[in-house]
This record gives sequence, C-alpha cells and structure tokens, in this order.
Amino acid sequence: MSAWHDLVTASLIGTERAVVPAAAIPGLSPMDDDTGDPAAVLLDRAALLTAARRAGRRPGRAEPLPTSEPDPRPAVSAAAGRRLARMLGGDHPDLLAEWLRAVTARGLRPPPQFLPVLLDLGRRAGSKDPALVRLVAQAGGPRARWLAQLNPDWEIVLEETLAEDEVWRRGTNSQRRAYLRASRARDPGAARELIADGWAAAGPDERVMFVNVLADGLSLADESLLEAALDDGTAWVRKVAADVLAALPGSAFSQRMTERAVRWLRLEHGEDGPRLVIVPPTGADAAMRSLGRDGITSGPDTGTSQARRIGLVLETVARTPPAAWTRQFGLTPAQIIAMSAADWDASNPSLFMAWSRAALTQGDQEWVNALVNRALTGKSPLTAAEVGALTRLIRHADPRLGAPNVLPRPGPERLPALWHAIRTLRFRYEMLKEIEDDHGNG
Amino acid sequence: MLWGECVGSATAPYRTVVDLSGPGYRCSCPSRKFPCKHALALLLMWSEGAIGPGGDLPDWAAGWLAARAVRHTGAKDPKPPADPAAAQRRADQREARVAAGLAELDRWLCDQVREGLAASQQSGYRHWDDIAARMVDAQAPGLAERLRALASVPHSGPGWEGRLLEEYAMARLLVTACRDQEKLPSALRDTVRSRVGFTVRQADVLASATPARRVRDRWHVLARRDLEQDRIATRRVWLRGRRSGRPALVLSFAAAGQSLDGSLQVGAETEADLAFYPGAMPLRALVAARGDTVPGGTPPGSTVAGLLDLYAAALGQDPWLDTWPAVLDATPARAPLPCLRDAAGDAVPLHPAAGDCWPLFALSGGRPLTVAGEWTQRGLWPLTAWDEGGSPVPL
Repeated sequence: MSAWHDLVTASLIGTERAVVPAAAIPGLSPMDDDTGDPAAVLLDRAALLTAARRAGRRPGRAEPLPTSEPDPRPAVSAAAGRRLARMLGGDHPDLLAEWLRAVTARGLRPPPQFLPVLLDLGRRAGSKDPALVRLVAQAGGPRARWLAQLNPDWEIVLEETLAEDEVWRRGTNSQRRAYLRASRARDPGAARELIADGWAAAGPDERVMFVNVLADGLSLADESLLEAALDDGTAWVRKVAADVLAALPGSAFSQRMTERAVRWLRLEHGEDGPRLVIVPPTGADAAMRSLGRDGITSGPDTGTSQARRIGLVLETVARTPPAAWTRQFGLTPAQIIAMSAADWDASNPSLFMAWSRAALTQGDQEWVNALVNRALTGKSPLTAAEVGALTRLIRHADPRLGAPNVLPRPGPERLPALWHAIRTLRFRYEMLKEIEDDHGNG
Repeated sequence: MLWGECVGSATAPYRTVVDLSGPGYRCSCPSRKFPCKHALALLLMWSEGAIGPGGDLPDWAAGWLAARAVRHTGAKDPKPPADPAAAQRRADQREARVAAGLAELDRWLCDQVREGLAASQQSGYRHWDDIAARMVDAQAPGLAERLRALASVPHSGPGWEGRLLEEYAMARLLVTACRDQEKLPSALRDTVRSRVGFTVRQADVLASATPARRVRDRWHVLARRDLEQDRIATRRVWLRGRRSGRPALVLSFAAAGQSLDGSLQVGAETEADLAFYPGAMPLRALVAARGDTVPGGTPPGSTVAGLLDLYAAALGQDPWLDTWPAVLDATPARAPLPCLRDAAGDAVPLHPAAGDCWPLFALSGGRPLTVAGEWTQRGLWPLTAWDEGGSPVPL
C-alpha cells in the first residue's frame, strides 16, 4: 500500500522535484526498469502496481439493514405495473391518484421498484395535496414505511401514523391538520366534535382548514356547523363553507339553491318545441343578501348589468344538484343538455360549464356521462373553458365510456383536445379493467 | 408484422411495413424521420386494436422482410475486391500515423508526471480534449476515448490523484505494448490493437469459425445500458451463456434520437451463435445466428469474493479491462454509502455516480436478491434485479 502512496505523492509533486520511489510487489523480484526518464519509470511502476492492486482487490464489509415487514398483499399484474411506469413517465399522470386508489381498494400492492418515485411525488405534494400523500402511504404499505426510515426526505408519509393526541394539543399547524384529517378518515363524528370544540378559539386560517377537513366524508351531520360558518366574520371562511355545502345533497343549502335556480332557468314550450329560458333576478336587496350569504356575489362591476345577472344565475345553477333539473323538467340529462345546445347555448356556452361544475361537485355520474357525451359529439366547437371542464369531467365519468366502441369517433376535423379526452377515457377504462381483473402476481 | 398503404401527397400510395419483433420500420415515403409518421400511424392503429389479422404478406412487404433477415445475419453480398496494393498502402499509412500519435502521447504522459499532477485540478476540459483530439487525428480513437473520459477525474472526489495516476499509467502501458506489439502473443496483440482503436470488420468477425471465437449457447440477456456521447447513442447488452458460463457484450450504435437495436430484451434467454471479436479476454460479440427465445428466469448469482476472483482472472488476460459483467446474490446495504452485501458479509460499493439506487433498495426490502450490473474500479453499477417472481426489473 505505502509503495502506491509514495508513487502517487511523487506524481503529484512531479519528477522534476521528487525522486521516483521503488515499487516492489511481494513475490516479484525487483525489475530492472530504469529507462533513463524518471517520469517514464514512475508511470511503468505505477502501471505494475495498478494491475496488481486491481486484481488483488479485497471485499469490504457491511452490516445488514433491518428487513421490511412482509406485505401480505399480492403485487399487481405485469400489465398494471407497466401502466404505472408509463404514468410515472408522463403518460396521463393526472390519473395516478385514481390508479393508486383502485389498486389499494382491490387489496393489491404496486411493484416495489416504483415506490421511491411515488414517495418523491408524495413529498413534493406535501401539505398541498395531503390526499395524495395518504394514497401513497396506503398503497406503499410496509415497504414504503421501511424506505421512509432509510431516507428522511420521505418521512412525510410516516407523519400520519405517528399522530397522537399530543399532536392535536401542541402540534404545528400542519401536524394538527394531518391529525385532524386522519381522525376524520377513521371516525368522521369524532373529528366533527374536535372541530366544534375548537371553533371559537380558532383563528381564520384554522377555521378555513376545519371547513376543508369537513369536505372529506361529508354528511348531513356536518350541516349545522357549516351553516353557522356561512355567518362567519371572515369572507374566506364563508366562501369555503358555501363551496363545501354545495356538495352536500339534501341540505337546506341545496334546497335554497334549487328554489332559486328553477325560478331563474325555465322550460318554455314555444312553436318550435320546448326551449330553455334564463329569467335573471331583478336585484331586490334581500334576495341578493341571501345569495351573498350562500357564497354567490356579483363580483366586480364589469360588463352590463344584464350579463352580471346572468352570471348570478349560472353561479346558482353550478351549486344546484343537477338531479333537480331532471325532476323539474321530466326529461333525461341528455335531453336537457341537447335542448340547450340546439338553441342559445352556442352563443352562450356557460350553461355547460355550470352544469359541469354541479355534476362534479355532487358526483352525479349520470350527468357527468351525459355532459361528456355532449361535448364529444355536439356540433358547436368547444371554448377553451369547456375543454378544461371536459378534462375534469372525463376523470369522473363512468370508466365504461372508454370501452371499445362505446363512444362515437369524432371526425378528424374535431379539436385535438377531444381526441385527448377520448384517449384519456380509454386509458382509464383499460387501467381500471386491468386492476379489476387482476388476481395478483403472487 | 404490420403492413399498410397510406395515401399521401404522392400519386402512388406509400407502402409501410412494421416488424414488431425488431422493431423495424420500412416505408416508401421520402421522410428522413425514422420511424416515419406512416409507420407510427400503423403502430397507433395496431395499439388501438384497429388492425385485424391479415392474410398473406404482399410481395413488397415480404421482400423487405427477407432483405432485413439477410442484413441481420450479416450475410451481405461480398463487395468486389478493391485494389490490394492500394489497400496495403492505406494500412501502412495508418500504422505510421498511429505510431507517431503514440510517441506524442508518451511524451505528453511523461510531461504530466514530470510537472506534477497537482496542476491538473486547475486544468479545464480542454487539457484532455486537446490530447484526445490529437489521438483522433492519429487514428487512435480508443485511446482518444480513454483520455477524454479523464477530464472528470480531478473532480471525482477524494483519491482523484491516485485514480488519475492509474489511468495515465495504464495509458502508457498501452502505448508501450502497442509499440512492442510484435513481441506479444497474438491474442494479446489483438487486445492491444482494439484498445488503441484499430477496428475489425464485422464480416471478418462473423467469418471466424474457431470454437473460441464462435460460441453456440443459451444466452441469457442479463442487463442493458444506454449511453450517449457526441450525439451517438451506444447500447451495451450483457449476456451470459447458460452452458458455457461465458460473458459476452453486444454493442449497438445509433445517431442521437434514432432508436437503438431492441432485439435483445433483458431477461430473455435465446439459443444463439455469438461471434466474438478477437482478443485475450474476448467479451465483445456479434449475434451470428439466433433461434428461439424464452423468458430466462433468475440467473445464478455469485458471491462478492467470486466476482472479484473472476474479475482478477479477466484482468490477468486484459489489464485494461475496466468494465466487467457482474451477477451477485446480495442484499443492498449501507456502509455508510450504498453497497451490496453477500451472505458472508462481504461487500462491494455501488458506483457513486449511480446515485442512491433507491429502486434497488425498494425491491429488496432488506432481503437478498439477484443483481446484474457492470463492475468497475469505482463500484458496481446496478442494471437489472430479479424480483421474487423471477421477473427482471430494469433499474
């Protein structure tokens, strides 16, 4: 060893200033290698030692790591694993959460080699998308927890499993939120009581957080808390509470919205058959105040007052359970949507947007499917906003819409965005079918 | 095999063929993109299930398939012999040029050591690029590549000066070996010449039929590594014979952005004749003939000591060998840097540039698995691991 170090030192300084050290190899007689140039001699001796050192390399020693707890769940099929690789590589990455949810629900586990990428995604999502963090932790199982013990960057997935009551009393904001979300997922009633008890002492940011937590596992039991939040002193709390209430079927809130909506959007039977007519409110102060309490304000003074009032109607439709229209008009969702398209919808396409929001908020699959069908097959070109709405709709449509030959093929002149939507639907269909048919890889 | 005709801007429809087993593409369109949009369209239709089972191949598709099969086995029509005297003159000129280049490199190497390596850390890439470029001019591309790779050594962390001296010493060893090549056994001479950058024609490799050079075996495709340099993509595919235990390396090249040869899929086992390039430790080979292909399962792995023994034996044949195929039965661990540990507790480091190797750790969960990769001076670069089900997982 030291012979090698002497050579390296001499080469660092340079043979102009240093003497070339001897380089004897045990078992070899010293060579007559002095060719006259000290630099050449040094290189030749170094070559001999290099070959000897490389060939004579000894193994190092290492202690084993603790082993991961076994994961009893079978791995997904090879096809599902390949699809996950595609999604992680950028193909329909927005469907990743749905893939994880479906795999977890089916009692399967993702191929372990993808856990590091999933954990990185979870870490980056962090507090912005705690639902994704939870999904990664659930799907990853004991192997993901084992990895998180090796790499502190991934501790975020462990946070929830560490949550204790202590965290609720003395934790940081993000720890309290994680604790509350975990508690809500286990026992919605217990979380509701924690929120009710803490409401009076909580600041505005925390009240917004409380309301957002209630959005998971929402039920009518949460209604009184949320109705009270509509009278909160902070506008942001009122706004978030109204958004959450809009997703609660059978609430007094949706009853109020429905009563307004059916007054302002009517079915009239003209000479050419039935058509939809918007009858905007005239602006009586009391009506406007009650609308404002439910989270709908006319916003900044832009556009004509007529346009502003139509805007209020559309905002109301967006918060009205779409099933109300099916009841009110006695028609199917497809008939109602097609009717709007035949008449004035082409010049004012926002009704499509309002219905899309309502159908998504309420998770009304019949309406989602009808809206997707209409967007893909309708005659009028879609606006950029409608393409955006379609992108959200297809993620919640019945995946069977993506089965072969269910959807009509749009003509080649149709927007690339439509093709993208159809490909996404097909991708979702295949992805979920793969997992559904999967009996695990053992 | 997919085929189709596409109405394009020309009067006759474009004829497009896709060989799914290759994959390979052929189209009569003038596009220089590869695969062209017609072939891509055909593949898209196929992936969407829009192409039903076809009948017999049309003649134009069958003709291309046959030509491709011939190209793959390398059975090209022999070129008409060139003027032998002119060829000899060119070969002599090259030998003279290389000899002059080697003499220049020898002076350069001695200058480095005379002035001291300490200065190298302040040198930019130009320092090595210049001497590498002179070796390209001297028609010694193998040496040029070795020298160009040295530019990163002074910034490779503690111990860089030792690593640089090793590489300079091995370069001078190559220079002196090439200068005195007449005194070397022929196999070692072939090794020296190939490391300097003299190439052997593929046709000559395929033509050699000696038992050492042409090996029929069930070849297990262990690992694959793609690298890109100077807009040339290189694919290294490592194989090992089931019966002979012999390692082999199949290289393929493509211009950047074009697809590399995908015919050897990792994890597959294929009955094939490999034709090895000449040398004292023959590794590089061409696929001369191929039979059926089946999934290969988990290959047998060695211990850490077994790997180091095999590598030492290979170095005894070819001291310039810096990449050697490894298949280990081991568990990823940390000591504290990532390493692979075998059942006896012996360990080899993972290559520092391979990063944290988290997928490998995730796959193992702290339990042993079989890992294939490239063993180098700095550590093992993991490329493939086999999961509990015996399926290969590229890392």
